[in-house]
Amino acid sequence: MREILLFALLGLGSGALIAGIAVAIVLMYRGSGIINLATGGISMLSGYCFWSLREGEIASMGTVPALLVTLVFTLLVGVAMELVAFRPLRNAAPLAKLVASLGVLLIAQASMLLAFGSTQKPQPSILPSDVVTIFDVNVPVDRFILVGIIIAITIGLVALYRYTRFGLATRAASENEVSALLAGLSANQLSMVNTVLAALVAGSIGVLAASVTQLDTVSLPLQVVPALAAALLARLTSFAIACAAGIGIGIINSLIDYLSTQSWWPTDHGVPMPGTKELLAFLIIVAAMFLRGARLPSRGELVEQRLPEVPKATKILQPAIILTIVCAVALVVLPYDFRQALINSMIGTVMALSLVVITGFVGQISVVQLALAGVAGFTVSHMAVDFGIEFPLAPIIGAAVAVLFGAAIGVSALRVRGVSLAVVTLGAAVAISNFGFVNRTWGGGDTGSPVPQPEIFGIDLGTEAGFRGIDGNLPSPVFGWMVLVVTVLLCMFVASLRRGSFGQRMLAVRSNERASAAAAIDVRHVKLVAFSVSAFIAGVAGTLYAYNFGSVSADRFGPVTALALIAFAYAGGITLVSGAIFAGLISTQALLPHMLDKWLGIEGNWFLLFGGVILIFTLLQHPEGVAGAFYKSREQRRARRAAAAPPAPPAASSGRPVATVGVDS
Amino acid sequence: MSAVLETSKLSVRFGGVHAVNEVDLRVEEGQLVGLIGPNGAGKTTCIDAITGFVRSTGEVRLDGEDVTRLSAHQRARRGLGRTWQASELFDDLTVRENLLVAARRPSLWGVAKELFGAPVTKTEATERALELVDLAWAGDMRPTDLSQGQRKLVGVARAIAMQPRLLLLDEPAAGLDTHESEDLGRRLRSLVDGGQSMLLIDHDMGLVMSICDHIYVLEFGKLIAHGPPDVVRRDPKVIKAYLGSAAAELADEVDGEPARAADGGER
Ligand SMILES: Nc1ncnc2c1ncn2[C@@H]1O[C@H](COP(=O)(O)OP(=O)(O)OP(=O)(O)O)[C@@H](O)[C@H]1O
Ligand SMILES: [Mg+2]
Repeated sequence: MREILLFALLGLGSGALIAGIAVAIVLMYRGSGIINLATGGISMLSGYCFWSLREGEIASMGTVPALLVTLVFTLLVGVAMELVAFRPLRNAAPLAKLVASLGVLLIAQASMLLAFGSTQKPQPSILPSDVVTIFDVNVPVDRFILVGIIIAITIGLVALYRYTRFGLATRAASENEVSALLAGLSANQLSMVNTVLAALVAGSIGVLAASVTQLDTVSLPLQVVPALAAALLARLTSFAIACAAGIGIGIINSLIDYLSTQSWWPTDHGVPMPGTKELLAFLIIVAAMFLRGARLPSRGELVEQRLPEVPKATKILQPAIILTIVCAVALVVLPYDFRQALINSMIGTVMALSLVVITGFVGQISVVQLALAGVAGFTVSHMAVDFGIEFPLAPIIGAAVAVLFGAAIGVSALRVRGVSLAVVTLGAAVAISNFGFVNRTWGGGDTGSPVPQPEIFGIDLGTEAGFRGIDGNLPSPVFGWMVLVVTVLLCMFVASLRRGSFGQRMLAVRSNERASAAAAIDVRHVKLVAFSVSAFIAGVAGTLYAYNFGSVSADRFGPVTALALIAFAYAGGITLVSGAIFAGLISTQALLPHMLDKWLGIEGNWFLLFGGVILIFTLLQHPEGVAGAFYKSREQRRARRAAAAPPAPPAASSGRPVATVGVDS
Repeated sequence: MSAVLETSKLSVRFGGVHAVNEVDLRVEEGQLVGLIGPNGAGKTTCIDAITGFVRSTGEVRLDGEDVTRLSAHQRARRGLGRTWQASELFDDLTVRENLLVAARRPSLWGVAKELFGAPVTKTEATERALELVDLAWAGDMRPTDLSQGQRKLVGVARAIAMQPRLLLLDEPAAGLDTHESEDLGRRLRSLVDGGQSMLLIDHDMGLVMSICDHIYVLEFGKLIAHGPPDVVRRDPKVIKAYLGSAAAELADEVDGEPARAADGGER
């Protein structure tokens, strides 16, 4: 009993953290309709800022001046975020806003990595380190202070929203922006104030969190997942519920820590089962989505921008052949490091292709694709290690298992869509990674799990095959060729999928689910098939990753990498095969980052930063991505050429006035 | 004659509102049936209930078969083709593809074959439907490049391309001018004369009165009258329901005046 109390009280610390981020998420959503995945990232930024000012990295200030400067810095971050990323997207589709927040997160992470490296920083605690004794248990007093601060913030926000003109205005605007506009309130100002407030709340968490969590570029940003669970329980509207739920989740997490010391708790190779907290957060998200209404409360917004267009490939075979020949030769003549980078690019392309199908064609954002790849990769490894099943059966089984997982996600996607789906799949990605991959029995633990070389009829197809290209180094071009064949086939598959009738049905579902049903399209079926197809592609990418590295480990398939992947896929062009190829070229350890690193000494984290920046830029300027922008300008040139001889509609129809009569009278 | 569509005691409630209240409709094979009523009478909701887009009680029979328990897309497959008041097109597809995706239902094998061969870009049904609404010239354009009235016609063509047993049109003439609307009326009539059964909602009294075989009148979710156009337009209950401009229109019709000449472009 004493211990349970102790752990419950200790859990107040991380509970306060989660609660604070959850409250900031709610604040931001109410203010501007954005589910800000970067909320934890802002806490991290402020944490780094305070640390660097206090501990001599930049300056050696006293606590109070450092705090003040940090608050000003956080405020500026909030303003910048609003002006650069969110305001221009005010009337964009909710999904675009979510992706923009992803860009902010990537920028925050990459800039801190570049500035301070990836090692954890010893952040000083500004709270007293005394211990109080309650019912015979000694609890650090900072836990109570933390919770007190968060509760005070929450009460302040509730009062602000209930009793001030600003709060009333925000509430009115979140219900109906049109009426708020009519009432003469500037939605831009409201949104700005809310964003800055949210940044300040999140930022103070980052400074205060020192006594509970470490300062690095991953821990705090990923607290956004349990915080999202709490925020969803609050239906993204109630500060009080978000705060209480956050504290509750923290306490439960701490109790899980306690229970996992018990003898009956399931263990994995002698250590308590990993990832149970992440699994819990995921389950809460799912429960909140399914039990408390499948949809997020919708906001009455002015316009909803469409997703980027999905042009059809005019030619498939010709570019495929050219690409194959170029890459096949390049794999032999290029030096080994470029060879490796090319192989990485191809696998990245396959990964992005799976997003093209599910996000580009069907309009569903799935963060879980990389985790599905991991599922396939770990399956390949365990098939060999545990059952002696190797190539080519193992990758087939691997892809099949990925499809099973993907179909299961697809079933849940029948009820949640759009932004909600992105949140659910983010939770799933974190849970699969921590509960599945880190587990040594199912996944690879810290060290990873080995993958034997692929071999068929005595021919080695792996990275260590006999033929070593011109420079005689690893990896073998033979493996590259295999990856090339798979990549080109999948590219052709996705391109023809778009042209065929199933592609049309996917786009119909993306455009309008109601009208699809009226057109005799089984929306559920289309979605399920699309999820399975994209899971299959992701699974293939996962098996290629596995053979590429000769082992699989959890960090390759982690949620942060998954989010970066989405950024790259968006930047390349989420609706196009050529966009996927471009995404592959710019993804982590691919050709472009490698060249910049080698020739200009620009390290990979710069590319992550760059990825975040182009992601936001793409969203604002070219929602169709880099490849889409190329396509568009080509189309425009064609149209200009064709303009000389216009294939006009018959005169009778062309002169029709555009009717502006309402359709609902 | 056999009934293509028959509803009995069809009802829809939205909270306290009884949007459709025990409606019995019947559409005979090859008949053009009109469904009229003032704004908010429940006409759209009635079509939604028939095609499975809203939860309803009562029974819907298509060709004598109970389809009440089927979902919307299954009913569409059975032959209930509908259009929407707000055109609801697939903006990501071209006009022709909009029709194609509704018209074709290839098997798994067909889909697989398409991956290798050239995809089907048109069928006889899609071309005929485009021809019928006079939009063949716009086949390769995006719906977003068309006017509101033209978008409505694409919706009509999409439903026609499905070759449905019963075509349910929700205000297809809204957004068209007088001349175009008369033109559409003639085309719809010729479609019906060719054997197509149709249920038509429209506010354009002239159009409805001139082309329909039978008319149902809804008010506050209840059927208040039905019968051939001549009978319905003289029905005092109907005239009362249409107090105001529409009533004048009706009266004009009774006097044998071409009502729509009087009110110009208003539909
Ligand atoms: N989804 C809904 N939820 C609640 N009430 C609804 C809903 N849809 C329609 N209604 C109500 O049901 C009634 C019938 O609406 P419906 O749209 O069917 O009328 P209508 O005859 O098509 O009108 P109009 O001529 O304006 O198109 C109206 O009172 C409307 O407000
Ligand atoms: Mg209506």
